[in-house]
Amino acid sequence: MTETDSQQGTLGVAILRIVLGLTILFTWWGNISDDFYTADGLRGFFDWVFLSAEDGGNGSSLSFIESIIDNTVLRAAGFFGLLQTIAEGLIGLGLLIGGFTRLASLLALLFFSGLFLTYFGGEEWIWTYVVLMAASLTVFLNYGGRMLGVDQLLARSRGESPLGMLW
Amino acid sequence: MIPGWNLALARVLMGLLWLYSLRWKLPPDFESSTETPLREWLELEVEHAAFGFYGDLIDSLVLPNFMLFAWLIFLAELAVGLSLLLGAFTRTGAAVGLMLSLNLLVGLFEVPGEWPWSYILMAMWHGTLLMSNAGHVWGLDGLRNSRKETQ
Repeated sequence: MTETDSQQGTLGVAILRIVLGLTILFTWWGNISDDFYTADGLRGFFDWVFLSAEDGGNGSSLSFIESIIDNTVLRAAGFFGLLQTIAEGLIGLGLLIGGFTRLASLLALLFFSGLFLTYFGGEEWIWTYVVLMAASLTVFLNYGGRMLGVDQLLARSRGESPLGMLW
Repeated sequence: MIPGWNLALARVLMGLLWLYSLRWKLPPDFESSTETPLREWLELEVEHAAFGFYGDLIDSLVLPNFMLFAWLIFLAELAVGLSLLLGAFTRTGAAVGLMLSLNLLVGLFEVPGEWPWSYILMAMWHGTLLMSNAGHVWGLDGLRNSRKETQ
């Protein structure tokens, strides 16, 4: 199977993808060094996120997000910490090398959308997540691994991935 | 090439980013009751300067002439925001936006609570907009271009 025009990579998208991958990997490594992905680390983070700004927290305003996190992530913080460690590392690596980029960028988009909603209404500069979401969406829509990426080799040797969702 | 609508969406988002960020640097006094005001950000850049020359520059030139530089920053960010939002003179707007993003990166690199990758990603997006015809879809640049072609 040959690539259509829209499925051929471009240099601009490849640069976006690589910078996005580096961003995730550097932050991931910093978080590991700071024990962020432990049960206590995650609990401390979410306590700060939803604590009011007057009390030194972020003061996020979406109560339904707080409720979801309370009833999911914080009920099994150790498990979610491990899951987050693995997922973030793989997403960053996938984007950096351009391997399974469609899946990695879609997961990145979901991840940053989640962070956007989590921080929304608080002290955190929310536009950081808008910029990250725009970059992830662009990499996903434009088959960001098809130039300077492993996906280019995969597409040539194996054709299109199932539903076009892997590379 | 990245599809036009995708670039246009990114361009509009970057425009809104600059306009929204004017909130804590509004004339005439450039103060804010709810956000960290511009002067305080500049003082933080001096206190936590990652590059000595930059901290010295802010301390010796910008802060003593705060009102002049506050107006310059306000007008530059307003112009970039409007340029990118409307797609008017988009490459110029993106070039100035790129310089402003790099300035933020250098100045805020080691300020506590700041995430330098935000400014790297902003610089990357403005570089992408600078190298493309992002104002030709959903933008006044495209309108001007099509008028020229029909004349």
